[in-house]
Amino acid sequence: MIEFLSGAVTLAYLIAAVFFLRFWRNTSDRLFLAFTIAFVLFAMNQGLAHVLAIYNEPTSFIYALRVIGFVLILAAIIDKNFFAGRRQPGKR
Amino acid sequence: MEDSAFSQEFFGFLRNAIPSVAAAELLLLLFRQSARSWTLHDLLREMPGDASISEPDAASCMETLRSCGLIEFDEQKRARYCAASDALDGQVRTLAQAYEERPVTLIRMIYALRDTRIQSFADAFKFRKR
Amino acid sequence: METFNLILYLMAVLTCIACTVLLGRSYMHAGVRLLLWGTLCFVGLSISNVLLFFDLIVFPTDVDLRLWRLAAALAGLLFLLYGFIWEDRP
Repeated sequence: MIEFLSGAVTLAYLIAAVFFLRFWRNTSDRLFLAFTIAFVLFAMNQGLAHVLAIYNEPTSFIYALRVIGFVLILAAIIDKNFFAGRRQPGKR
Repeated sequence: MEDSAFSQEFFGFLRNAIPSVAAAELLLLLFRQSARSWTLHDLLREMPGDASISEPDAASCMETLRSCGLIEFDEQKRARYCAASDALDGQVRTLAQAYEERPVTLIRMIYALRDTRIQSFADAFKFRKR
Repeated sequence: METFNLILYLMAVLTCIACTVLLGRSYMHAGVRLLLWGTLCFVGLSISNVLLFFDLIVFPTDVDLRLWRLAAALAGLLFLLYGFIWEDRP
């Protein structure tokens, strides 16, 4: 059951990342790029942790992938609120 | 055609009824020959050469147009332009005019409106809403 | 080192909760369905990260919450994917 869920979660993160990638291409909003990369990192974290059977090792490098993902999301939120200029509608 | 012709109502009309440029072209074909009843194949055959839309997508566009009160189907499933109100008819005329005179602006607008739902996801992360 | 790990786990939890709140608040204002699915996604991810925190820090040896962590994350992600796939419909 755990293998099934682990694989499903990995794939779900990847598919979500692909959608975020499309949204970034459509809207040019940097936030979507950050989410794309973050979700790819989450997918890698989930997949690698399972494949390498490292379930509860917080100091492993795999765990760093998760951390970077969350840092990216936080950075995107901060960027959107303090740095991003006005977006022109219809701009590709 | 001035920018003022692109009103909020027109944007609302585009957002609800016209999800793509091909949808606009389908509607305008029907509008320009409003006395004629078209099958889906007729419409697809007469679309401009550079527009590519698949049959299922065209069928779903037609269904959207019908549910917006712009066209109706007869017993043989042929479509005919039939705006449900003068206001709607006015919007279609605006669309026709924009397509002739400001096609680039119109196309950019259609794609921008398509993306508003996605953009609202990104905008959700703003702390302060304008 | 332990404190550092603790901070990193908390950051994950807080980021997920922040996303949940921001998306949820926007959904209340704008009513755009896509935002509802986004909110539910981050609810699932928040739960998953909270459980991870409990699994590793609070109860490191007593319980194994992996099944529930994964289930929560998957549920959240499925909501998100459903929203993304149907997002083109009016």
